[in-house]
Amino acid sequence: MNLHEKKIPIIKIHDYLIVPIQVDMHDKLAIQLQSQILEEIAKTRAKGVLIDISVLEMVDSFIGRMLSGMASMAAIMDTSVVIVGMQPAVAITLVELGLEMPGVDTALNMEKGMEMLERRLKSRKTDSF
Amino acid sequence: MLEFPYNTDCDLLGKFKIDTEYDIVTVRQVIRQYAKDMGMGIVDQTRITTAVSELFRNMYNYAGGGEVLIERGEVESHNALIVTCMDQGPGIENLELAMSDGFTSGQGMGYGLPGTKRLVDRFEIQSVLNEGTTVRIMKWK
Amino acid sequence: MSELLNVQNAKERIDRIEDILASVAAGDLDARIQSDIEDDFSGIEAAIDLLINDLTEELRQREKMQKDLENKLSKIQDQQKTILQQQEDLLELSSPVSKVWDNILILPVIGTLDSQRTQVMMENLLQKIVETGCTISILDITGVPTVDTQVANHLLKTVTAARLLGAECIISGISPAIAQTIVHLGIDLSVIRTKATLQDAMIFAMKQSKRADEMRTLSNIALTNENVD
Repeated sequence: MNLHEKKIPIIKIHDYLIVPIQVDMHDKLAIQLQSQILEEIAKTRAKGVLIDISVLEMVDSFIGRMLSGMASMAAIMDTSVVIVGMQPAVAITLVELGLEMPGVDTALNMEKGMEMLERRLKSRKTDSF
Repeated sequence: MLEFPYNTDCDLLGKFKIDTEYDIVTVRQVIRQYAKDMGMGIVDQTRITTAVSELFRNMYNYAGGGEVLIERGEVESHNALIVTCMDQGPGIENLELAMSDGFTSGQGMGYGLPGTKRLVDRFEIQSVLNEGTTVRIMKWK
Repeated sequence: MSELLNVQNAKERIDRIEDILASVAAGDLDARIQSDIEDDFSGIEAAIDLLINDLTEELRQREKMQKDLENKLSKIQDQQKTILQQQEDLLELSSPVSKVWDNILILPVIGTLDSQRTQVMMENLLQKIVETGCTISILDITGVPTVDTQVANHLLKTVTAARLLGAECIISGISPAIAQTIVHLGIDLSVIRTKATLQDAMIFAMKQSKRADEMRTLSNIALTNENVD
């Protein structure tokens, strides 16, 4: 498949959106993905987003900023974002690069990410009563 | 073209042009493969790939593109993968400032050079205003 | 006439000496003049033969010595390879990560930490976190006498990287000396959860883990209730 045609799927399950990133992203694709997810949040009124980056072999400052920006933007829209499955080598490189992504929620795998979102949703429900 | 203080006997592995965003992706994948072939561990592969990705983006954003030279050679008794990025862009006005850590902390500001430097074993930069910038990085095996 | 030399076939014999010397020079160490004729010239011929003998002996000895040296060198190179391999093995061995509870990993560090060892340790721990899915890990440095800036930074990096993966890393057993060093070096460890002893860290980790479990059960109940509705 041509690099130019790749599109990242966004899957909706119950209250959540699942975004499996499975291509080496260029900058335009990353920006496009960001607005795509935000539009999808607005459309589906999803309460949480799981972004699976377990197959990403590299996250540079641009993609890193896109991901943490994504989390902040979604938070303003009252939606939680969890970054799932970052590889150890990617994590070490990000820290050395100086991108520690404070305030971004992370989880080891999809299951744990889902649990995290459910806990969030639960505590929010009790808050509203 | 800018000259660097020392020359080494290196094997030229490849020469590429960065003209589009897709070139950034393609060439950084090529470099990861070279790092893998040299026997670098997964973390070092990721470090060099990320470092070149940062440099390529600078070339693309500030100079509209540039040229990349990939070499392999012996430097100070290390087996080194050497990547040189050359552009003919506006150059960097204050190199010292660009290389200081605080400069990059702003969101999306600066060139991300200190972070890139931390990922590699050797980092050399030369820049002349209105002529261009050349960055050469090395990673030991 | 006593001054007149008594030499037979002088021309041929000089030619033969030249031939023999040429073949010795070319490497044929078995070549000898061995003339049968006895006259004034035979002394010289015998002397040349003797010289060739000496030369041959010396060359043979030198060859033998060189071979011995080469053998020794290759042996040393083999030993060096083994040492390097063992050093690598030791690096791996010196940072054993074990899963001690459902959700908890422990990495006890003993001995002096240098930059390289810390690096290997960090990669090992992060890899293990991903493999086991454990969300809490304890880095116990009770057995570490001292740390320098670089090592302290590596420890900090490990904790931050673990957080990026989605796991928490607690450091336990910071000795007074290390606490002093860290503060003097101006490294900010306040962002890291530290516990005095391994025991404290264990208790904390188990509480944390239990809380997560309860939360999970709660949210599961909530989910089932929702489905019933």
